[in-house]
Amino acid sequence: MLHDASRAAISRRSLLGLIGLGAGAAALSACSGPSTSASGAGAGSASADAVGGPSFDGVTPAKTISFWSNHPGSSQAITQSIIDKFKAESGITVNLVTAGSTYEDVAQKFQSAQAGGQLPDLVVLSDVWWFRYFMQDSIIPLGNVLKAAKVDLSDYRQGLVADYQYKDSQWAVPWARSTPLFYYNKSHFKAAGLPDRAPATWGEFATWAPKLMAARSTTKAKYAYEHPALAGYAGWTLQNILWGYGGGWSKKDSFDITCDSDPSVKALSYVADSVNKEKWAGVASTSSTDDLAAGACSATIESTGSLVGVQKAVGSRFDVGVGFLPGGPVSTKPVCPTGGCGVGIPKGVDKANQLAAAKFIGFLTNPENTVSFSAATGYLPVRTSADTSSLLAKNPLIGTAIKQLDVTRTQDWARVFLPGADQEMAKSVAAILTQGAGVDATMKTLRTTLEGIYTSQVKPHLS
Amino acid sequence: MSASGTIAGPRRRLNRRRLRESLLFVAFVLPNAALIAVFTYRPLILNVWYSMLDWTLGSARATFIGLGNYREFFTKDAGAVLGTTLIFTVVTVGGSMLIGLGLAVVLNRRLIGRNPARATVFAPYVLSGVGVGLVWTFIFDPVGGVLAAVLRKFGASSPQWFLQPGLSLTMVIIVYIWKNLGYCAVIYLAALQAVPRDLLEAAALDGAGRSRTFRSIVWPLISPTTFFLLMTTILSSLQSFDLIRIMTPMGQGTTTLMYASYLQAFGGYNRAGYSSAISTILVVILLILTVFQMRFLERKVYYA
Repeated sequence: MLHDASRAAISRRSLLGLIGLGAGAAALSACSGPSTSASGAGAGSASADAVGGPSFDGVTPAKTISFWSNHPGSSQAITQSIIDKFKAESGITVNLVTAGSTYEDVAQKFQSAQAGGQLPDLVVLSDVWWFRYFMQDSIIPLGNVLKAAKVDLSDYRQGLVADYQYKDSQWAVPWARSTPLFYYNKSHFKAAGLPDRAPATWGEFATWAPKLMAARSTTKAKYAYEHPALAGYAGWTLQNILWGYGGGWSKKDSFDITCDSDPSVKALSYVADSVNKEKWAGVASTSSTDDLAAGACSATIESTGSLVGVQKAVGSRFDVGVGFLPGGPVSTKPVCPTGGCGVGIPKGVDKANQLAAAKFIGFLTNPENTVSFSAATGYLPVRTSADTSSLLAKNPLIGTAIKQLDVTRTQDWARVFLPGADQEMAKSVAAILTQGAGVDATMKTLRTTLEGIYTSQVKPHLS
Repeated sequence: MSASGTIAGPRRRLNRRRLRESLLFVAFVLPNAALIAVFTYRPLILNVWYSMLDWTLGSARATFIGLGNYREFFTKDAGAVLGTTLIFTVVTVGGSMLIGLGLAVVLNRRLIGRNPARATVFAPYVLSGVGVGLVWTFIFDPVGGVLAAVLRKFGASSPQWFLQPGLSLTMVIIVYIWKNLGYCAVIYLAALQAVPRDLLEAAALDGAGRSRTFRSIVWPLISPTTFFLLMTTILSSLQSFDLIRIMTPMGQGTTTLMYASYLQAFGGYNRAGYSSAISTILVVILLILTVFQMRFLERKVYYA
């Protein structure tokens, strides 16, 4: 009896059906989150009761730990050299893992790992992510583990330390910390007959911008100023102008949303006019510092973490100038938000690993290493006792960034504590700047959105 | 030996042979079936379960909310997301297939440099979507990009490709078609080369022009290929992710179902339950499309 191949063979219809089914399933498996024992037990709250975290009495530090980083400011090499020194001194091996290229990449991987993957022993926590990990009960309060590792936070810049405090607990330690900085092309400013400094206020810059635009035949720049790419951290840098006008995304240290208040609307109207009406400002598509380095704009604001990169990109083509962020008609200081990232310790790893991670935190951010890190990246030294003389001798511009730390302000909670707020802010600003949407109406809509996020995703965790 | 005994012998052998074949079948199929069950259908079923939870990604706790995520999607985001998905899918599928067919027709002729041209057309398809996205991001950059430089030569300024939602979608569609039309071109080329020469020669003898020959002979004969491409490119287009992620990370104007699902879970919102609901809707759409194409469109296909 011959085998009936025609009956057994898969038909074209079946094949196509299987392709469709497989594709759909692949789409799902690619998108679905990690498995969890969701039981309808309610949102729950974070470990708010643990002020100092678990006890580490009698715990011996592990010999090997892992550290997930996105290497902010191209810091892989300098971080690895610090790790090598730590190994020589303590005998503890730290495996530096590239967990992505942005803070969001690290967050994506870390949150996926919560569902059963391999957790790191130490992880980068950006200003907008640590609070979510706190709410999700994914990280430990550091009080006791830092005490056990003999890491004293009193020598750290207290403003930066306070950025990671909630409910009397410390949730991270500052590491690659930054602020936005005003960058300008000295050649362009000279060609426009402007003083060699950053403007004191945005009002002053509005009087400079036409001169920079008039000098374009010499400078070949497209814009006098370029707003940073909205897909980056528009909500972060725009706090400067909002605060200068007396507004903000939310009230200071509060979830009371104020993005549609009169001062906030005035601030964002200034931004909108600079692009749509006065036309001396543009919006970067990818990186405003790249455009500055290419001579396409005369000034911009970006992270201090971009400083060394900008200097390398510019080379000897022109001198880069930096200055404090300009103030506004209501406030000239403090109008500079802090930013960047710290490092924190996940909850679901062995205490021995947590203790070793805490010891490494102390070494990573000691006065000597924070200066080395700063020299290599442009991020700011996080220790008050750090000897920055060699740093300033090598790169005087970093001195401006360090001095600006004295006039920084903790970020608006609406931006850093509400999941997705940064994305919603960027979308709203994009609508205003590029689609002609009204500032007032757009901010009212944003307020409704942000309040909805607070009510549904934050408030239940804070009870 | 009885008559029944003479029949029972071959029957037993037949049964043993069938049993052996069945066991062999199971031995071959079971490992793959188990893998598919664990890595495809289990996540699929779990995803449907997650879609009914109010669950923050990374959190061990969640709240069962029934169809709440679906209700929210269809009352809040469906219009924009489904509209973008429809435009992206129709234009990329139509564009890839039409241009791919045109290229295949050209490449099917005896031209100088035909083989290098075929390789050139197909090359973008095998390139990494991330790499392609990065290169085209530089090309479209309105300040320092290649396209902006070309436009400046003609006294024009570059459109704001990354800031205007409509232009962002257009930009991603252009790059998607560029990357994928080689696939359609190569498949169509193979189909064109399979069209019997004698039919084309007979049509020419009967006085049929190129257009008439294409409409009456070539097109019906390559309709199975068109059907195959239609299905595979629709499925591929609906799942497009890499180019959108690299070129428009905020998803301004480019938030298709697939990308909306990503943004909700991993783009800052951490809404794993809502993201799962969007993924489930995407799967249902894929299934409906597949069934529709098999039931109705395949009837129009001519299998030689």
